[in-house]
Amino acid sequence: MNENDRNRMKELLQKALPPMEGEPERDLWPAMLRRLDASSAAPRIINRTWLDWALLAGLVAYAALFPASIPVFLYYL
Amino acid sequence: MNTHPYLRAYLAGVFLPTLVLPLLLAVFIVVRIVLQVPVPIEQAMIFPMAVVPSLFGLWNMLYLASHEWTHLPIGLHGAILPLLMAPVGATVATCLHVLEFGSHGEIWFQACPVPYALIAPGFLAALVVYYLVWKYIVGFLNRVQGIA
Repeated sequence: MNENDRNRMKELLQKALPPMEGEPERDLWPAMLRRLDASSAAPRIINRTWLDWALLAGLVAYAALFPASIPVFLYYL
Repeated sequence: MNTHPYLRAYLAGVFLPTLVLPLLLAVFIVVRIVLQVPVPIEQAMIFPMAVVPSLFGLWNMLYLASHEWTHLPIGLHGAILPLLMAPVGATVATCLHVLEFGSHGEIWFQACPVPYALIAPGFLAALVVYYLVWKYIVGFLNRVQGIA
């Protein structure tokens, strides 16, 4: 590739790609992170917290039905 | 803060049993002195005082050491601990006459009868207690200590 070919290639590339119009006015990455967190956090909270609340409710019901077991639980804690 | 991670894991592990122990002691003292229930308090306190905090600390150290290759959630890791603690605790309790076996069920602390039919549900409940405690309390402490 000689000098003329190189110049021609450069000219074609500059025509094909539009010029950059400077940097964005603000940093977009924090907004991107917030969006990723919002999309991933909601299903996790719904699935896991629901199960944990159900387990806790079961425990409370068990302790209410069989209070003699409470000292035994405390013995193991 | 990357120094002494296993020491921090041990401290995070022993936190809850150490916090619960004085409350447990207070409950036992009230039951024995105020309510006049003949609970063998000296024998009953040996396992919660000497074994449980150490086991929690060591189990949390094991979690830190093994998490890289097991990828087990901390709640499930904690829920495995009763499989080890239940037989050890029952053996210690039997040796110290805190636990006795009757014809219809166990008698804990010479005052709390637990029918044999309730042992399996009780063990499942213990798994749930440990799962929740490890997931929310020990997990939180590990995050505070910077080792989660």
